[in-house]
Amino acid sequence: MVGITNALNVVADGLAAAPGGGALLPPVDEATADPQLAGLFAEIRAFYARPDVPAVFRVAARDPGYAADLWAATRRAFADQRLARRLKEALAFAVSLTTRSAFGTPFHLGEMRRLGVTDRGVLEVVGVTQTFSSYTKIADTLQLESDMHDIAPVDDSPAPGGPRP
Amino acid sequence: MPTVRLRDASEYPEPARKLFGLARSWFNHEFKEPAAMSRVMAWDLEFGGPHGRAMKRAMGPGEFTRAEKEMVAAVVSGVNACSY
Repeated sequence: MVGITNALNVVADGLAAAPGGGALLPPVDEATADPQLAGLFAEIRAFYARPDVPAVFRVAARDPGYAADLWAATRRAFADQRLARRLKEALAFAVSLTTRSAFGTPFHLGEMRRLGVTDRGVLEVVGVTQTFSSYTKIADTLQLESDMHDIAPVDDSPAPGGPRP
Repeated sequence: MPTVRLRDASEYPEPARKLFGLARSWFNHEFKEPAAMSRVMAWDLEFGGPHGRAMKRAMGPGEFTRAEKEMVAAVVSGVNACSY
């Protein structure tokens, strides 16, 4: 989920919405899109409960096969599984805020709110993001060596769907 | 290797050692020496005290659980490429 969030942000911030308004790589226009994209676009709109397809997926849609796989990975990462989608959007918001993503920060904030997170919940995530952005910089600046790794037992849980070793 | 010498717990004044006790309770873990970050934050209690309180306020259960907030902290640390 962290990886795919960053992947979407990199393209959205870098190509889909260049400073000054234009796009360096124009997204596919939904109205004139290849008919083979109709199902994919409908699924994306339904997943996010919005009337349009976010530009990042429409940039990818310049190659329909790539867009389909990117979307399948995104949907898999964000769908309700052991972790709820509401929490995953909060994590993606924290990732986007930390990496100063102009696309990801408002996008995932909007998703958090749509999934029921209130102002209080948003501020909780902002607070954690802010305090740990402080701790991490202090630790890096002073080159502190990790001494917290043994405060909990090693978790040998497999990745979702994977076999237990 | 740290760029500064981290003092041992015994080198700190009593108010700072109280902070170490609070950190031990927070993590529910018996450290041999207080964690490096705790010892750094205890250098200046007028900074480390409120910083730690802000962290505890942010990490306490609310709309998100403490466990969920630990995940947020983990991803923030991850994207900041912080190994600590």
